[in-house]
Amino acid sequence: MAAIETEGVGKTYGDLVALDDLTLSVERGELFGLLGPNGAGKSTTIAVLTGQLLPDAGRVSVLDTDPTTEPVETRRRVGVLPEQESPPSFFTPREYFDFVGTVRGLDSEILARRVDHWVDRLGFDEKLDTLCTDLSRGQQQKVMITAAFLHEPELVFIDEPLANLDPIVQERVRRLLAEYVEAGNTVFLSTHHIEVAEAICTRVGIVNEGRLIAERDPTDLDAEESLLDVFMANVGGEAGDWSDDGHASPVGGAHSD
Amino acid sequence: MSSNAMGANGVTRRVFVGMLREEWRLHARLFGGARFGAFPLFVAAVAAGATWLLASTGTAIPAIVAGLHALVFVFGLHTGTIGFVGRDAIRNLLGDVTLLVFTSRTLPASPRRLVAIFLAKDAVYYAGLFLAPLSVAVAAVAVVTGTDFLPRLPLLWLSVTGTFVLGVLVTFALVGLGGRRSTAAALAVGGLLLAAWWSSGFDPTSLTPYGFYRTPGLATALAGFLPIPVLAVLGMAVYDPTDRRPSRTSEARFAAWRDRLRDDDGLLTKSLLDVARSSGGLWKVVFSGGVLFAVTAFLVGVVEQLTGVSPSTGVSFGALLGLTAFTSYNWLTQFDSPDSYRRLPLPTAAVFRAKFRAFLLLGLPTALGYYALAAAWLGGPPAELAAGGLLAVGVLLYLFGLTVALAGFEPNEFLFDTVLFAAFAGAVSLGLVPVLIVGFVLAPLGPALLAGVVGWGAVLGVAGLLLYRRSVPKWTARYRRG
Repeated sequence: MAAIETEGVGKTYGDLVALDDLTLSVERGELFGLLGPNGAGKSTTIAVLTGQLLPDAGRVSVLDTDPTTEPVETRRRVGVLPEQESPPSFFTPREYFDFVGTVRGLDSEILARRVDHWVDRLGFDEKLDTLCTDLSRGQQQKVMITAAFLHEPELVFIDEPLANLDPIVQERVRRLLAEYVEAGNTVFLSTHHIEVAEAICTRVGIVNEGRLIAERDPTDLDAEESLLDVFMANVGGEAGDWSDDGHASPVGGAHSD
Repeated sequence: MSSNAMGANGVTRRVFVGMLREEWRLHARLFGGARFGAFPLFVAAVAAGATWLLASTGTAIPAIVAGLHALVFVFGLHTGTIGFVGRDAIRNLLGDVTLLVFTSRTLPASPRRLVAIFLAKDAVYYAGLFLAPLSVAVAAVAVVTGTDFLPRLPLLWLSVTGTFVLGVLVTFALVGLGGRRSTAAALAVGGLLLAAWWSSGFDPTSLTPYGFYRTPGLATALAGFLPIPVLAVLGMAVYDPTDRRPSRTSEARFAAWRDRLRDDDGLLTKSLLDVARSSGGLWKVVFSGGVLFAVTAFLVGVVEQLTGVSPSTGVSFGALLGLTAFTSYNWLTQFDSPDSYRRLPLPTAAVFRAKFRAFLLLGLPTALGYYALAAAWLGGPPAELAAGGLLAVGVLLYLFGLTVALAGFEPNEFLFDTVLFAAFAGAVSLGLVPVLIVGFVLAPLGPALLAGVVGWGAVLGVAGLLLYRRSVPKWTARYRRG
């Protein structure tokens, strides 16, 4: 049974077509990357899949729930890490985790254990009692990553997972996502960093103007055809126009969809 | 670019024009260009309507002008709060925006010079967009009702503009003096000191442009406008352009508050903690209520002075303190947005429910606390005071329901949306004008009028609850449509 299935999903904002007949399927245990340029519809896709936005057309299923009719149930089962969202300014990370644990109905002892685990793993234990507004962007991102995983969901949606993180923490998060998927869970991430998708995803879907236009398994690619080539061939332009190292922008930069 | 360079090569003028354009675009983008363009016309129409209504029910034009100055001063205080408590407040209010006033971090521009230009821009922008239509409207109605007011129009405009700038600068100076955490406390203490001075017989309005308006002359001009440069210099001197602050830590209080409040989903606790931890703490709610209390006291005093009739303490304070609903709800929604809850397994209705409970815990005691203070200070027949208390609760609930219905989670933003603001102003007038006329013009009140006041309060309270209930599904659907 697929973790995520969509069929013919459409979403418009006024005259702007954000999603246009989007059809995709993500199996359980996949680390699926949705790759696309700015404004391609990546963030809208995540918002629709997690019941935050209602699509105008189409069918959606996430972990056997329908986010259009039971959004709260869908979000109970999944974790969501939106792009560029900060934890509440006037909470400390410890209090924010208490809040998330309360909303998700986690036992306080289990919550404390998981917080210790994630804090240790991402390395921000000395910041647990600092107000979030006084944390750096990178530290805030660590808090948001922890919050998304606290209830150990089967499926996590992540928008630009490495935004604002230093190279060491980026590497830790990459490893963490890989281990998480190896344990049988599913990750759906959206990014416009080709090298991120190439390095950590088990399958990549390329989206442009709200449509899924290509899919690739990065391990099937070789020197003849890189993910950048596939991307450029489908989105338009020459690979050399993109940049020398295949970045749409500096690694880890946060950009809106 | 040094300060001197900015002045020498005309950059100051260009930054000023840029800031004006920025302010206009910010508002136009938030509220739709054409709609926002109509805002001055709308302000003039509402001001003319209100002035005509007050004048035709016996309120003298000088009393209306006095009230106008009081309201403009409060508006200035509020504008200063938004502009100068820093980038966090701007971001909380408008999202992640970068304004020219903050560009000293990335450009070689003097931060103090930028702030000075920002202040000048605020004065010019609001003097043209807001204060000119207000002044013209009041003057026009005064002329229509038989007062030879036209020669005083430039004086009125100058005076309300000065009053607005004074309000902005009071906040600016106190923000610098008080420091972030104690700003609201400092403002509250300052207000109390002024009130004490006032009660000893000194007329503080002689140190404002209103004093000059009342008695035009060189001496009154000096006394009335002198506080403006004094506060500007003081504000600049204590302004911290580096915005340095130590990293703040706090003990974990969420769980303890949640348990004490018996708050199963933690949303009520979050709302209250947000207010308590942000700049000014819970004091800012008290201060907002205090400003309205002071304005009401001023209006009651002016009306009594000009007409010789003592307004009903219960009804006048009950009706006007109900307006604290708007500021209280504003504080409760200032630090989050619907988006911040949408990734959690929470229905939007639960978030609104939490806001309502937080409003009852924060807004109700604030309004009733000041009401009790007014009752203790000015006294009145017990029946009137009881009726006024019930009226205050009714008005609070009505304005809460109305604000939620029209603005959802963003009560502050719709102040500049002409259509929404018109709807809000119309609905507020519908609820308040009848009881204000009763309280200010028909006092002392007989049993029939008292029963009417209580009945009207009940109608408003029920209407507010109904508006709130009906608006939750509306906003839930709207947020999901995107």
